[in-house]
Amino acid sequence: MTAKSKALTVMLVDDQPARAALLEQALLDHSYKVIARLSSAEGLAGQVARLQPDVIIIDIESPDRDTLEHMTSLHRDNPRPVVMFSEEGDTKAIERAMRAGVSAYIVDGLNPARVKTIVDVAVARFREYQALRRELEETRTQLADRKQIDRAKGLLMKQRGLDEQQAYNAMRKMAMDRGQRLAEVAGNIIAVFELLDN
Amino acid sequence: MTLEKTTLRLGYIPLTDCLPLVVAQEQGFFAAHGLTVELCCEASWANIRDKLIVGHLDGAQVLAPMLLAASLGLGGLRKPMLTAFSLGLNGNGITVSNRLFAELRQHSVSDSALDAAQALATVVHSRTANDQDPLVIATVFPFSSHNYLLRYWLSAAGIDPTRDIKLVALPPQQMVDNLRLEHIDAFCVGEPWNSCAVAMGLGRCLVTGYEIWQNGPEKVFGVTEQWHEENPNTHAAVLRALDQAAAWIENNLSAALQLLDRGHYVEVPLEWLAQPLTGDLRVGLAQNRRDAESFHVFHRYMANFPWRSQAQWFLQQMQRWRQIPADTDIAAVAARVYRADFYRDVFESTRSLPLLDMKPEGEHESAWTMAGTKGDVTIGPDRFIGGAIFQPLQSDS
Repeated sequence: MTAKSKALTVMLVDDQPARAALLEQALLDHSYKVIARLSSAEGLAGQVARLQPDVIIIDIESPDRDTLEHMTSLHRDNPRPVVMFSEEGDTKAIERAMRAGVSAYIVDGLNPARVKTIVDVAVARFREYQALRRELEETRTQLADRKQIDRAKGLLMKQRGLDEQQAYNAMRKMAMDRGQRLAEVAGNIIAVFELLDN
Repeated sequence: MTLEKTTLRLGYIPLTDCLPLVVAQEQGFFAAHGLTVELCCEASWANIRDKLIVGHLDGAQVLAPMLLAASLGLGGLRKPMLTAFSLGLNGNGITVSNRLFAELRQHSVSDSALDAAQALATVVHSRTANDQDPLVIATVFPFSSHNYLLRYWLSAAGIDPTRDIKLVALPPQQMVDNLRLEHIDAFCVGEPWNSCAVAMGLGRCLVTGYEIWQNGPEKVFGVTEQWHEENPNTHAAVLRALDQAAAWIENNLSAALQLLDRGHYVEVPLEWLAQPLTGDLRVGLAQNRRDAESFHVFHRYMANFPWRSQAQWFLQQMQRWRQIPADTDIAAVAARVYRADFYRDVFESTRSLPLLDMKPEGEHESAWTMAGTKGDVTIGPDRFIGGAIFQPLQSDS
């Protein structure tokens, strides 16, 4: 069956084995693949790096949540959707969390029937959010690069008496010779002029 | 003044610097201000933040940068949060495994914190050159003074914290265990976990937070902006109780630690809790004693005043490490989250307060005075390792 090869892989983090077993069964029933069931302090960071789960489901009371949050804040550690569950969560609290923009879901207790919807929605929301964020970051970097290049060009023109085209060509040649991005070369030029200025 | 709410749930993490909350509870200061408080022990910083946001907690001991991050929508949740009361200064330390300590000793020249960083740089670069795995160093949260102090210290010796080592986050109470299991080579955490690792013979304390930033701000009392607007009188009552507690701790330190121990707020032996404050915790490559002050200042030096310049410094570090965009309006964010105006409303009739909400950070090697509303106020030393000075940014508005 092709669906099987595409099944989302899930990592479960819960200090209560009985509850975790219940949730694992619910996930299996909905054809998710549970690749690990951990309690806290079992080296979450290493396990995520090794097993690369598609989704992480974690008890809101787990001490491992800070580890997870750190991992998702780093670009190099490929972020993934996190679903949280809490037994004391009331509907109002969930609504408030959603309005606040939580990329994860807070489940009130563990209703196996709702597991599939919740995981699917969390994954969808996460992907949407990631796409938006990437777009925003790209725009921002482009803008910052542009500014940097213009400033370095201006400095070269002023300090070395070059015209705009000459300044630009000099920077481009330097970038090609060194295998650097134009913005990096611009940054270096600015740093050197700032150093000489002081 | 009518209290909008008299029954409160306040969150804390088991650490020595949750002391003002514990003392306000155990000494009856909350009760004296008409408050019935339940102190809730929480498992993680993320949990404290989320519970504040959804209203399961009214207020809590929080990491100052976490309030800034949540207000900017980092880490998933976006909700304006604020503080009008800092719970104290200093309190962090960097501890390394015995094995790493022995290695560092071979490269040491003197006992300074900068020298310790340089010894670490030698080790780090030789590992890179020999294709060995990078050192793993743990802090408590991506948005924490621990993370920024550690990075500041590493950078002072030319170590790139994003490239040369591997940074992970662990909750404070798991640090010692992870050091024992050799999952990590070092950590930066608040007390009593440095003392705990040392007492158990698992590592050596190498640097105190004080040596990176003298009297740098630590945890703060945080609430959501919405909660503050709905409960201003209750918020003021909480701050009065916390202020009373902070002043009491200043004069009754060992009695305060006993409250922490007796009430099982922090489950480590009392003598370990007391170690940094009796000067028994050895620090540095030469393992010398340090003053109690370099670990905890709860009240003096205007320790509870929410300096906007300190929030700005955190935001600048968040920019430096690319957690927030370069065009973030630092002055505006700091002014909204660090509510020095509310601290003034609550305390101005009772004492002299600084005339300004901001000060240059890093200019003073010893205690100094600045002009106050009812006479001069004394502020502690505030130097950064390496001697940089942070000039506060004026708000445009």
